[in-house]
Amino acid sequence: MPRRKPGTLLPLETEILGVALSLRRSGHAAFHGFGLAQTMREQKGSRALTGHGTLYKALGRLEDFGLLASRWEDPEAAEGRPRRRLYELTGQGARAAEEALAEAGGQSTRRHPRVASGTA
Amino acid sequence: MTPERMAELVAAWVRLYTRNLAAPIAERRIAEIVADLHDHIAHERAHGTDDRRTALRVAARMVRGLPADASWRRAMIARSSTQKDSMKRRTAASRSVVRVALVTTSILLVPFVGMQISDGVDWSIFDFVFAGLLLGGTGLLLERAAREPRMLAYRAAAVAIGAAAIVLGESDDAPGLVLFGLLVIVGTVAMAFRTALRSR
Repeated sequence: MPRRKPGTLLPLETEILGVALSLRRSGHAAFHGFGLAQTMREQKGSRALTGHGTLYKALGRLEDFGLLASRWEDPEAAEGRPRRRLYELTGQGARAAEEALAEAGGQSTRRHPRVASGTA
Repeated sequence: MTPERMAELVAAWVRLYTRNLAAPIAERRIAEIVADLHDHIAHERAHGTDDRRTALRVAARMVRGLPADASWRRAMIARSSTQKDSMKRRTAASRSVVRVALVTTSILLVPFVGMQISDGVDWSIFDFVFAGLLLGGTGLLLERAAREPRMLAYRAAAVAIGAAAIVLGESDDAPGLVLFGLLVIVGTVAMAFRTALRSR
């Protein structure tokens, strides 16, 4: 995993923000872990879903940075299945996503290939 | 192996790597992954994937996330111990302030009571303020020296204050001040010995 420089996002985190922004623009502001992994797979055209640990660790970090907010799904909405943790972009997260996508779009696709090709 | 059996194994792994973490953190991670596993299996079934392949895909996601699981656990433990240390330091500092305030007040009560029962003791407000600052400041310094025994500067400052009190006491013919200086120096040296013995 790449070592983090202070104030920077890892490629996976940028990718999550990009997907969250595109979901928000399509009217689905709240998303859950598996739904996010599924959307990321579709956008990348990859066969594999992101690993559990990798995905939820990145979501937790984005929440710590104040870029995402999360809450438990209402028990009524769960309809008998395990309750999902729902994530949403914060205002700061939306701005960071737009900046990251603009930056990724302006850079070579070799550095952030998945974000640049998927959401820019 | 059925996808449900594989999901149980993944959940067991999550319970294993969240053991001894703070309950809200562990419970959230377990519940989140259990919901994810349920959604994953339901999604694969809705798309007609056979059970064996679904179980393998679930297992593959777990395996790909293993390094992140381990580093997440380390980060959670580090965060928890940092919070505990910071809380301990804050509690110790508040106790120090209370101890110093109590001792200073008790010592200042001696001349105050003396003034009420004898004409030989005559302290002005300035004397009380000066003595209070001297006692309180020295007490806080000694407390700091006790909490951070490796900081030689605090011990050196305490000894310097003690020495200054002895010199001033000698020149002003004030045996109380000399005694105070001696007590500060003896206390500082005793603390240095105690620290050295404990660190062995």
